[in-house]
Amino acid sequence: LRRDTSEVTRPGKTRLLILLLSFLNCGGFAAAQNVIFVVNKDVGISEIKASDLHAIFTGEKTRFADGSHAVPVVLRGGPAHEVFVERYCDETPAEFRAQWRKAAFTGQGNMPRAFDSESALLRYVAETPGAIGYVSRFSPQDNVKPVIPQK
Amino acid sequence: MIGHARLFSFLLVFAGVACAQDLSGIEIHGFATQGFLFSSNNNYLTAQSSSGSLQWTDGAVSISDSLSDSLRVGIQLHMYQLGQLGGPNIQVDWALGDYRINDHLGFRAGKVKTIVGLFNDSQDIDAIFLWALLPQSCYPIDNEGFYLSHTGGDLYGYLPLGNHHGSLRYDGYLGEDYLPLDGGYVKQLADAGLQLTNEPAGRNYGGDLRWETPLRGLLLGYSPMVMGLDGASPGGALHVPSFLMTAQYAQFARGKFYFAFEYDKVPVSEFLTIGPQTAIFPLDTRSWYGMGQYRFTKKIQGGSYYSHYVNKAMNTSLPENYSKDWVVSGRYDFNSYFYAKLEGHFLHGTGLGYYASTNPNGLKPNSNILAAKIGFSF
Repeated sequence: LRRDTSEVTRPGKTRLLILLLSFLNCGGFAAAQNVIFVVNKDVGISEIKASDLHAIFTGEKTRFADGSHAVPVVLRGGPAHEVFVERYCDETPAEFRAQWRKAAFTGQGNMPRAFDSESALLRYVAETPGAIGYVSRFSPQDNVKPVIPQK
Repeated sequence: MIGHARLFSFLLVFAGVACAQDLSGIEIHGFATQGFLFSSNNNYLTAQSSSGSLQWTDGAVSISDSLSDSLRVGIQLHMYQLGQLGGPNIQVDWALGDYRINDHLGFRAGKVKTIVGLFNDSQDIDAIFLWALLPQSCYPIDNEGFYLSHTGGDLYGYLPLGNHHGSLRYDGYLGEDYLPLDGGYVKQLADAGLQLTNEPAGRNYGGDLRWETPLRGLLLGYSPMVMGLDGASPGGALHVPSFLMTAQYAQFARGKFYFAFEYDKVPVSEFLTIGPQTAIFPLDTRSWYGMGQYRFTKKIQGGSYYSHYVNKAMNTSLPENYSKDWVVSGRYDFNSYFYAKLEGHFLHGTGLGYYASTNPNGLKPNSNILAAKIGFSF
């Protein structure tokens, strides 16, 4: 009987493990889906058009709607970066990088400052007038101001 | 004494901080590539490609700094060797000051990359392309130094057209361009008997207008450019009266897909004087390409293009007056810095990329070419 029970429960444990892993994976995915934009607290906007976000992060625009100078900053990689690039720039991270390399190597623009971690990006945004960046929803945003993308 | 030491220390620290702040905005980027060419027939691009050639090296370093929110300065130094073209000399690729009054209007002055078609200004930046060789009908690598940049000024800007009409980007320029002595055209002239000692130069002006359409990822554009050239040497002269070249293009980029099409037209007559004789070489070139590429994974990209060139001023049935190239290419990115490319060309016609001096026994009309490259960029 004991033997039979263990054979029955083993697939149950496996199923539980798969379920747990799926949940964790979904959690990561959900976190990545929830990218939010943050700006330096001195920037006088609380909303931003999606087309302006695209233009600022591709170097076409250098100013916010209130006329102040925009300093885009990016993450070097990670789920938040991938979601940002795919959703707001319609590109893959490689194409996004290539586009900025083109700007730098043709003299048409400077690459945005890139950060390895969200905490480093948030610190820079908090300290730099005009800075705008993006992080996952669960990063603390105490010293920066969130801006809401609008269609 | 202690006060002086404190002041000295303070000045040192202050100078250090000030210096660090000044330098913190400086951006330094660079790339280096090494290529390999192998052709089944003929020697391609002045390299001994029929026996396999590694004479294909390229590198650049750029330094730029934002002096203020509106003002940026920078310079890029470039060196390349392709077969007998280029050489060890380091050249200034571009060196400019860029003053952007607002998003709608900015100025660039100095030696500025010339925007013509989709890739003219970026054709020498290998790292950003899937292709080892861009479509040679529109971007011949043996002459990439010709109208790659101009010495003069640009006026540029970005104009949003509202929520449902996309946006416009424009660039207009006036300057002087030159034919590099280590480039392909000058080598062809040398093969024809005219050894130029000074770079032929002339005024050029033109512009580029591109519309980012409301259809996400679709870009349409038009670039006209007017230029002429004059050059002389003890043995003769080259005179190219002003001509208008035009490029029309479309690009669709969304997610992992990328498609592009471009059509260029160059009607021009070259007056070549060697000794007492002057010969006219009429050209009416029509060049176009269509390309498609797809990113399979983060590291692997593949694609294909067809590149077509024909000189309508001559007998278009002769191989020397056309070039038709089917290309298949793949790229592997080891990481965000290192990459490798492998590319096959199925080339019909000898109108582009071949030189008499490196093919002394004449040319066969068709050739298959393998191009491979490794590169590094930061």
